[in-house]
Amino acid sequence: MKLKKMLAVGAVVFGFASVYAQADTELEFWTMNLAPKFNDYFNKSVADFNKANPGLTAKWVDMNWDQIQPKLIASIAAGNPPALVNFNVPWVHDFAAQGNILPVDQYMGAAKNNYSVGAIKDVTVNGKVYAFPWYNSVSIIAYNKDILAKAGVKTAPKNFDEFVNDGKQITAKTGVPAYAPKLGNFVGWFYYAGLPVVENGKAVFNSPKHVAFVQKFADLYKAGVMPKDVFKVEFEQEIAAYNSGKIAMMTTAPQALKRTETDAKDIYAKTGVAKFPVDAGKMAFGAWLMDFVIPKGTKDPAAAGKLGVFLTNDQSQVAFSKATETTFPSTKKGNLDPYFQAGAKSADPVEAGRAAAAASMDNARTLTIPPGVLPDEAAMTKKLQDEIQDAVEGRKPVKAALDEAVAAWNEKLKK
Amino acid sequence: MKTSNSYTTIAYLFLAPALILMGVLTFWPVGYNTYLAFQDYSIADGSSTWNNFANFKYIAHEDLFWSALKNSLLYLLIVPVIQLAALVVAKMVNNKLPGMTLFRALFYIPVITSISIAGVVWANVYKYDGVLTWLLQSLGILHDQVNWLGEPSIALYMLMIFTFWKGIGYYMVLYLAGLQAIPSEVEEAAILDGANAFQRFWKITVPMVKPTILLCTLLSTIAAIKVYLEVIVLTKGQADTYTALFYVYDQAFRNYNFGRAAAAGVVVTFFCVLLAVIQFRMFGDDKK
Repeated sequence: MKLKKMLAVGAVVFGFASVYAQADTELEFWTMNLAPKFNDYFNKSVADFNKANPGLTAKWVDMNWDQIQPKLIASIAAGNPPALVNFNVPWVHDFAAQGNILPVDQYMGAAKNNYSVGAIKDVTVNGKVYAFPWYNSVSIIAYNKDILAKAGVKTAPKNFDEFVNDGKQITAKTGVPAYAPKLGNFVGWFYYAGLPVVENGKAVFNSPKHVAFVQKFADLYKAGVMPKDVFKVEFEQEIAAYNSGKIAMMTTAPQALKRTETDAKDIYAKTGVAKFPVDAGKMAFGAWLMDFVIPKGTKDPAAAGKLGVFLTNDQSQVAFSKATETTFPSTKKGNLDPYFQAGAKSADPVEAGRAAAAASMDNARTLTIPPGVLPDEAAMTKKLQDEIQDAVEGRKPVKAALDEAVAAWNEKLKK
Repeated sequence: MKTSNSYTTIAYLFLAPALILMGVLTFWPVGYNTYLAFQDYSIADGSSTWNNFANFKYIAHEDLFWSALKNSLLYLLIVPVIQLAALVVAKMVNNKLPGMTLFRALFYIPVITSISIAGVVWANVYKYDGVLTWLLQSLGILHDQVNWLGEPSIALYMLMIFTFWKGIGYYMVLYLAGLQAIPSEVEEAAILDGANAFQRFWKITVPMVKPTILLCTLLSTIAAIKVYLEVIVLTKGQADTYTALFYVYDQAFRNYNFGRAAAAGVVVTFFCVLLAVIQFRMFGDDKK
């Protein structure tokens, strides 16, 4: 008797639940590492979406970045994945290749044209768009006006060759290393220069063009344009070197300027800002796009798509950038918002930096080799970086170093 | 009256809390790691399949792994140096002169300093225009700036110096405990017999702290083969300082290839055990 009763109650509850579920589709979306700092933004965003879309209920869940993949895989296996998940670009390629996320072209519709060209390219796999591009960032140049004036460099470099020549001039005339760009991901530099890395399953980065490109860095290193420990330079070290006047230029994300503003006021007062020049690759340097994907097996992909478009439209993206103060929209119009553009003629480096970065956003590309291309990414990246470092620091001819790295890569790619 | 049977049971009951913890946190991971070394492990669904030694075959032909293992074995050079130095330092601070406690504390401070903080400080010591270059230049020993952590020929030795600084206090304390167990009569008798300080050190101190030497060399050998934190905080494996455990880490957490990482870990363990056996033969009690 008791069992029957329980079953009956269960059936009623379940019935209600399914009726309720039909009445209101819940759209859960996951983000990485944004709570609690941006609770206000997301609460408002969710409320706005729910109000504009009767019958749909968006629900925000934030988690640590390293939980996203295991939880998503578990939820796909259990048949109840969320509507949208915040991914980075390598993950998009990885999951698209596995077939665990859905192409979003049809849900994006005409909104596709709103996104910047680079952002759409970042999340396109085999001709299909697999994610709604969201926030991004990009490198700019911040320079010490005093040092550049002393060296007779009048304007910031407009292309990569000018960047190289200005650097040489600055160091030759002032004795100060000109810059310390981050060289930890040299694959990114090849892409930036429009040079291929892997083609048809073979490593191809030892062509004369590649050799000439790396040679530029070797020459800069030899001339002291880059400090001796440039291969150890990361975000923090570059800011520290610039703030103490040890390098003339910083090639970094615009938020670095906030550190100069608080830590080195006298340097900040003589800081000028410019776009980081693009090279043959026509890619802005230093981007890392975030986006939303629709997992396979989600209950209502069309509704998920609606939420995806909403969260990444101009208005939402500009509002989010204002909340973060350090990120940029991946939409064309978003970056034209007065919030970004106001600084274009400002004397304040932080504001000018925001404008300079926003102006670069259309070319922002996430410069990595998609996952799955390299069979042993850790070892192969290490080999390439070691050879490049030996070449740039003058322990090995550039050609020999690249030949050796290519041979090692091809041996692994063959398997 | 308790029987010996219940005595044993009670003994195991007392051991149980520690054994359970060790079982869960040490034996099980070690066992599972060894099992994984022979498997293809899929991180997505947690499944694993026997792969016929593929992981071991792969690392056997992997230059990077061998050069990493070479660096880890080269790191063993630090073991005799740090042990001898720690013993000498322990001997020196093992007297009743005023202020000795301060010296003991000073030597011990690096041990309790967090390695990430020590790493930041030492990165500045080793920077090409940092403290070390400045010191050697002002002494007139060095003319040019040296990128201490960027030159493949010297970077690994620079890490060893860091390890030496960080570890000497730890072994000093262990030796100090060993030294204080030596009755002072033995040394006094030797002085009466006319033995000089050097003779007393080699003929009395060293033999009498032999068990401690075994313990310390063992600990320091294992630490040297497992060197990883020093590399992460100072060089990130650049300039030929990539070590075996760095390889394990890279395979596990950059490639997500846990099977291969486990196999590399097993090879490292093999060398640890091998060296431990040798050391027991050298310093252990001969129970013939």
